[in-house]
Amino acid sequence: MTNPEKLSIQGRHLLNRRRFLGVAGLSTTGLALTSLLQSDGLLADEIKTVGGKTPIRPLINADKPYLSRQPHFETAAKQVLVIYLPGAVSHIDTFDYKPSLYKMHGKKPPGLPAVTFEGPSGNIAKPFWEFRARGESGKMVSDLLPHLAKHVDDFCFIHSMSTKTSAHPQGENFINSGFTMEGFPSFGAWVTYALGSENQDLPAFVAINDPRGLARSGKNNFGSGFLPAAFQGTDFSAKSPPNNLRRPASLSKASDRQTVDLLQRLNARHLGKYPGDADLAGRIASYELAGRMQMSVPDVMDLSGETQQTLEAYGVEGGSELRGQYARNCILARRLLEKGVRVVQLFNGSDPSGGNGITNWDSHSNIKKTHAMQAEIMDQPTAALFADLKQRGMLDNTLVVWASEFGRMPFLQANGTGRDHNPGAFTCFLAGAGVKSGHSYGESDEFGFKAAKDEVSVYDFNATLLHLMGLDHERLTFYHNGLERRLTDVHGHVVKDVLA
Amino acid sequence: MRFGSSGMAYSNIVIAFLLIQSIVNGQEINFAEQVLPILENNCLHCHNQDESESGLRLDSRAYMLRGGDSGLAAIVPGEPGKSYLMEVITHADEDMAMPPDEDKLDEEDIDLIRQWIAQGANWPGQMDAVIKDDRLEHWSFQPVTRPDVPAGEASPVDAFLKKQLTASGLDFSAPAEPLALIRRASIVLTGLTPTPEETSEFLTAFQSDADKAYQALVDRLLASPQFGERFAQHWLDVIRWAETNGSESNMYRKKAWVYRDWVVQAFNDDKPYDRFLFEQIAGDTVGQGEATGYLVAGPHVPVATVGQELAARRQARADRMDEILQTVGASAMGITIGCARCHNHKFDPVTIKDYYSMSAVFQDIEFGSRIPELEGEDPRSKTGQEIETQIASFREQLREFGPWEEHWLAFREIHFEPVITSAVRLNALSKSIAIDEFEVFGVEEPGVNLALASRGTKLISPKEMFKIGKQRLEAINDGIYGTEKWSALQQKGSDEKPWVEFEFTQPHTIDLIRISSNREDFFETDYLDKINKGNLASYRIEIRDEDGKWKPVASTPQYKELDQQHKARVATLKKIRKLIQRNYREGFSPSFVGRLIEPQPTHVLGRGSPENPREQVFASGIEVLQGDLGVEPNAAGNQRRVAFASWLASEKHPLTARVAVNRIWHHIFGQGIVTTTSDFGLAGAKPVNQELLDSLAADFTDPVDAATEPWSVKSLVRKLVLSKAFRQSSQPDAAALRKDGTSSLLWRYPPKRVEAEVIRDSILRASGCLDSKIGGKSFRIHNVKKRYAQWRVVDNYGPETWRRMLYQERMRRVDDTLFTSFDFPDCGQVKAKRPVSTTPLQALSLMNSDFVIDQSSRIAKRALEIGDGNRGRAVEACFELLLGRSPTDDEKADCVAVLGDGDLSLVCRALINSNEFAFVP
Repeated sequence: MTNPEKLSIQGRHLLNRRRFLGVAGLSTTGLALTSLLQSDGLLADEIKTVGGKTPIRPLINADKPYLSRQPHFETAAKQVLVIYLPGAVSHIDTFDYKPSLYKMHGKKPPGLPAVTFEGPSGNIAKPFWEFRARGESGKMVSDLLPHLAKHVDDFCFIHSMSTKTSAHPQGENFINSGFTMEGFPSFGAWVTYALGSENQDLPAFVAINDPRGLARSGKNNFGSGFLPAAFQGTDFSAKSPPNNLRRPASLSKASDRQTVDLLQRLNARHLGKYPGDADLAGRIASYELAGRMQMSVPDVMDLSGETQQTLEAYGVEGGSELRGQYARNCILARRLLEKGVRVVQLFNGSDPSGGNGITNWDSHSNIKKTHAMQAEIMDQPTAALFADLKQRGMLDNTLVVWASEFGRMPFLQANGTGRDHNPGAFTCFLAGAGVKSGHSYGESDEFGFKAAKDEVSVYDFNATLLHLMGLDHERLTFYHNGLERRLTDVHGHVVKDVLA
Repeated sequence: MRFGSSGMAYSNIVIAFLLIQSIVNGQEINFAEQVLPILENNCLHCHNQDESESGLRLDSRAYMLRGGDSGLAAIVPGEPGKSYLMEVITHADEDMAMPPDEDKLDEEDIDLIRQWIAQGANWPGQMDAVIKDDRLEHWSFQPVTRPDVPAGEASPVDAFLKKQLTASGLDFSAPAEPLALIRRASIVLTGLTPTPEETSEFLTAFQSDADKAYQALVDRLLASPQFGERFAQHWLDVIRWAETNGSESNMYRKKAWVYRDWVVQAFNDDKPYDRFLFEQIAGDTVGQGEATGYLVAGPHVPVATVGQELAARRQARADRMDEILQTVGASAMGITIGCARCHNHKFDPVTIKDYYSMSAVFQDIEFGSRIPELEGEDPRSKTGQEIETQIASFREQLREFGPWEEHWLAFREIHFEPVITSAVRLNALSKSIAIDEFEVFGVEEPGVNLALASRGTKLISPKEMFKIGKQRLEAINDGIYGTEKWSALQQKGSDEKPWVEFEFTQPHTIDLIRISSNREDFFETDYLDKINKGNLASYRIEIRDEDGKWKPVASTPQYKELDQQHKARVATLKKIRKLIQRNYREGFSPSFVGRLIEPQPTHVLGRGSPENPREQVFASGIEVLQGDLGVEPNAAGNQRRVAFASWLASEKHPLTARVAVNRIWHHIFGQGIVTTTSDFGLAGAKPVNQELLDSLAADFTDPVDAATEPWSVKSLVRKLVLSKAFRQSSQPDAAALRKDGTSSLLWRYPPKRVEAEVIRDSILRASGCLDSKIGGKSFRIHNVKKRYAQWRVVDNYGPETWRRMLYQERMRRVDDTLFTSFDFPDCGQVKAKRPVSTTPLQALSLMNSDFVIDQSSRIAKRALEIGDGNRGRAVEACFELLLGRSPTDDEKADCVAVLGDGDLSLVCRALINSNEFAFVP
């Protein structure tokens, strides 16, 4: 057997799998996927990541890739709900109150750039909605979001967010997968790769897309990148089940059952010829899981048991059709979390194919109208979802994240009625397990143009989210193409001040 | 070394000059007394032998010269201005100010260090010190040697494996059953399961002479065009080739598929691998222009979605160059050169300077389309040339009727009698106009665009007279086609229609104008709702005569009048139009294989940021791998690529052959001898059997057998599949599994789940639906979409889709709702190899998708025809079509027990989902 010392150069080793297996003392069952997930036989404790720490590799059972796994350290949050708002919400028209904008309204912005993403910049514009103090904390929130405003005492705002791109797709990629480029594992994929799930009959990670469709970066926002496909987000919503979930209409239930019976017999005979082969056993197990999902997914999607009171609170009726559909998605999100699904990513907006401001928060013109339209869809159902989680005691172990890819400019676009993209400052909020409530962290400058105090980069933000899930962002790694890849690349610091 | 030596001479002069100066000033710095104490008190605590923060050591002169991870030299003797140490101690950049979290050094100390560097950084006793780089000892950077083949086995492959197996107390397994063998060889070599006829033929032949039968099988499979399709699929995976850009609009790349076809053909022709690499990097120089689709295989963000900020555009260009380097690094070099983009590579001896020197090689490449260079005898070339000749003669016929306009699909060409002028004016005849590029050509230098801003041509178009869209006037003559354009609209209450004047630096005789509103749309993309098909508002072109008066030369209304006057004109124009269309279909047409541009100077970008350009660099390979390309610093772009490709595809390069051989081994045996197939650096895996790898690599470039061509992929593949190792059984063995759980020593053939393509193609073959046409336009499964919408699957199972999955339009990060769950790549990041994972979504896809349900019925129908009324025979046929064998009695009994006389398609559905169907046996 090779001596690891001889393999060693600069403290990094590769061991072949035999040795790893010897060390880990695993039986042959479960080997195939496990060893695959060890990344080509790289053994965690002999590798240093850029931060100088050793990776912690989850031990994944091929038969049950979603089996719950231990976090790196104990933490309150067991599950996470990410509410993602594509298109960029205007922080200065919602949660980031800037009195200077009133004073400077209609004037040329002092020292602000002449050209931004879409072109020349115009004059400063005061918020399009009035701000007032809310809750016991007296947090200033605009009238655009009256329902969410009621819960500010439970939220932990970060006003000093900044990102490194002013283009939507790259911004979406960055906040959802840690890289502006495509093909990297999403936050949800990393979390389920590390932690598995509490429910073996449902996908570990569900992406509930907006009724209007996928966001600009499409599947990349919830993809598995170079992680195994098992950890990609499964895409379904209240109105559309996952692809191929349902038995085809042309097949009777009995016929379906017959196929399954025959398949089981065929596979059992075949396995007899390859005793102890983990890949084969794992694949048989995946069919059993699929069978259970065919029962459990329709069940969780079925909202008929929800009370009238719930439907009303979420705003299923009485608003726009889109609000109704989004509200149903919000109820679905709660139901999935109740069942123990590890990560739920709820989208409020899609790609811009409907035109400016019609399908997401992007508001280059007539922000007054388009933001109002998006807020009508988002505000009440999201607030109701939050209240529901709280009332059911689910916030004790559920982390809630509300985020957009960047903010909007304090000035209008030249000769325009909308605000351009602002990567320099924006607001996100956290709530629930492990997070301070009624707290605001960081500040943008007097116009909300750039993060001014306690800047939080997207890397810091993601490092903090992983920390809240009990994961060390420097040790949750996966070997890919020469590097121990992380959600946070080689950056990121946990923002300690937001932790409860 | 050429640059090094001249640089040295220069710096010697500088040093001499500075020495003279300091002697004049009478201030020779004493290092030990004046400089070392400053370093000791402020720097060495973190930058020493034991603790070299950021990879930087300041305790020796040689390390100072090398610098830290940043890749920037801490000191450049004689040049404080170029010494990074000066930058950080003077706090030139607040983010990189040293010492950290402490006060800046005293000005006096800073000045001493500055003077010390200016005087040549004299460090007594260390002036000749060099750093020995242990990393260069790494196995894969050593020349390939040819190890002696151990005795005892017919094939060197088996001999090296056997040696290692014996050392581990293992041995090969028994030979595989012939049924397993033909299935395995067919899947591995062609990606298709064998037909029942092929199987029975093989079984018969195998009984009379097993060896001969197997060799004949291998020869047949290697000669079949499906071999090229199978290996093309592997290659396209690695370089994440796709037919869309990725990013927001994820637009289709028109005719990108010509590259895919080139790869298929290259494998089928057994194009030598060194040539295969060369042509993908510099094929434009040898009539193989389609091959350069390789360079633009990765994703890119089109300028329209990058935004208007110049910094963002510079960043986007740097990102595109990075995609090119990642492609080359991962597929051909086996080095993760992308890691050196922001700082020196953490593990491998690749510096940030190497990275940008390699980026200089590709500076003439841009993501986009061009008409690919073809060999003279290529039928498309001939057709194209014929058409050009015919058009030229028709043009002669047109001259007598005055000016005319030709519609070249993406742009218009306006032809008129040669006229001398120093200015041209374009007048819109409608309220609004949008032009992405306006080009003027003269008779003195045909083909040279006189309107380009870079030639000094000035634009005049008073902004206040028209309402201008958010795009700029300058876009009209910046040489960039596409969505960036000048758009202008008549003001309310004004009768002034938009116009623009082009003022040349001197008079020219001109006779041709080319004009378009969005040339990119037609040339580069497709399947978009409201795609621009060469639309253009009506216009009038004027020139300024010697008296300064504007004189019309051509206009849209004029064409109409002339058409009415001359019937012959109309007929000739129609003929030209037809020829243009034919040329696009059968002759010269733009394909998404990269656009060639004028290379710009390349600089090292500090911390990877285009906003932080450092020293200028010139085209080169990796320095420590003899990367000097011997090209002039400002050589033309294609010369740089030719030199680089020759360096890379050389039998002396220690990595190229090893990486190639290992990747092919990976495709044949399921795991590489080096498991990290794209990383042969210090962070990659060690070879499981280096002697074997080196023996294969040596024989690949320089075959012992005189009948074998050097760099022949087919010969290598044949050698591997004829080995005992490939032909042995895949049966597990408990004792052997304990010693080698993943069969990496090849005591058995390791079984593996097949890829998405094999499943799909084999199902289609079983039903008899598979259309085996090679190459051409991809079949579509998606909609025609709005520009900024996501692609949506419309039909992924109908007759139009019954081709091999290699020809399914390959969209970046789009869920095909069927095979994405089978680890089908999203084509975002380089994938050295496909992961194999098992998920319930795969089960759902194979149980319930329209494709499987439809195909199950078709296979059942075929089986019933074969059975010809005999139910038992029909059941047998299902097994034969899908598994290549008859059912056992037990399995027959299972079918009866579960189904009775029920729907036979359910048997097919079960077989498609069975483990036996999904695994290479």
